[in-house]
Amino acid sequence: MRNLKAFALGSIAFGVLAYAGAAALAVGAQAAGRSLVVGLGPLVVVSVERETSAAVTTFGPGLLALAIFGGCVNVAAARLLQRRAGGRGDGVG
Amino acid sequence: MIATSDRIDLASGVSLSNAHVADVVRGRSWPLNNSGVFILERVGHRLDVVVREFAEAFDLPLDVARFDALQFIWTLNALALVNVIQSGSRLRRMKDWLGFALRLAPAGALPTPITCRHPLDTGGALRGVVSSLRASTARVVAIAAASTVALLPLVATVGGAGRLGYLAVALGIATGMGVGLHEAGHVASLRGVPSALVTRGRRTYVLHAPVGPVRRSFVAVSGPALAAATGLVLVVLGVAGSEPEVLISGLPFVAHALSLTVIGGDGRAACGI
Repeated sequence: MRNLKAFALGSIAFGVLAYAGAAALAVGAQAAGRSLVVGLGPLVVVSVERETSAAVTTFGPGLLALAIFGGCVNVAAARLLQRRAGGRGDGVG
Repeated sequence: MIATSDRIDLASGVSLSNAHVADVVRGRSWPLNNSGVFILERVGHRLDVVVREFAEAFDLPLDVARFDALQFIWTLNALALVNVIQSGSRLRRMKDWLGFALRLAPAGALPTPITCRHPLDTGGALRGVVSSLRASTARVVAIAAASTVALLPLVATVGGAGRLGYLAVALGIATGMGVGLHEAGHVASLRGVPSALVTRGRRTYVLHAPVGPVRRSFVAVSGPALAAATGLVLVVLGVAGSEPEVLISGLPFVAHALSLTVIGGDGRAACGI
């Protein structure tokens, strides 16, 4: 259950952060009037293509890959911390 | 720093009865000796007066009485059981703090920060959000101001004028508001659970009564989730409207998503670590 939670939370966090980062790059490229392709090998994260009168922004499956990668990293980190850490009192930051 | 002209007050939810100090939020009480009861019965009085009365009542040299009383108050303040009501102007306190920090500098230390505990209304989600935002206002403004000031040199380096200046202010405000929303998210999920907002140095956190593991995970996730969701809305609006300023002002909120991972205390709490 802990691994599942860590995977879900890590995926959401990395997914949201990757989307925001990709969106910032895309809007920057649009504002500069440039085309842009960001990808992980064959997996496109975001692309901005200039057409005659407008720019087309596409978010690709690379975002999903980043989210899954984030989930896996979080599970690995959670396992590492679990081995080292004890419990702590109630309180949230 | 605690000055002898300051006063102390029991934090909300903390009471003194039958030689015990009880905390509703933690659901615990601690026994006190006669000295502790004597000092806590004088909440609201100036500390120099309390120390003098303490020295007379227990037949102690003034220096020893001052040391004992201040050490006791520091301990209670660190536990967020007692708030310190500071007197004098903010400017003078800052000057005193700087002087003390300079004296401590050779030891590589800073003056110990004062803990401040604010009451929270957890009667409902909305009431919780409102009371949390109210309690964290001073902290939000301070973070927003500090972030803006930190970003302005960067803007000056880039050489931007009006638009970049506006961005620095927007990012600063978003950074401060992100912290406010993060804590408000926690409080919204603590309906019916006695809670308090605590600030200590750079830390801001919600202290709450013990809850079950499922609720604890939910409470931990709610804070960063609310801030990150707000940021995500701003980012989507920025993309949809091709508005870089709107998108960029959403980034400090989105950064709270990192707290969902085990990097942050919330992520660790959510995973039961």
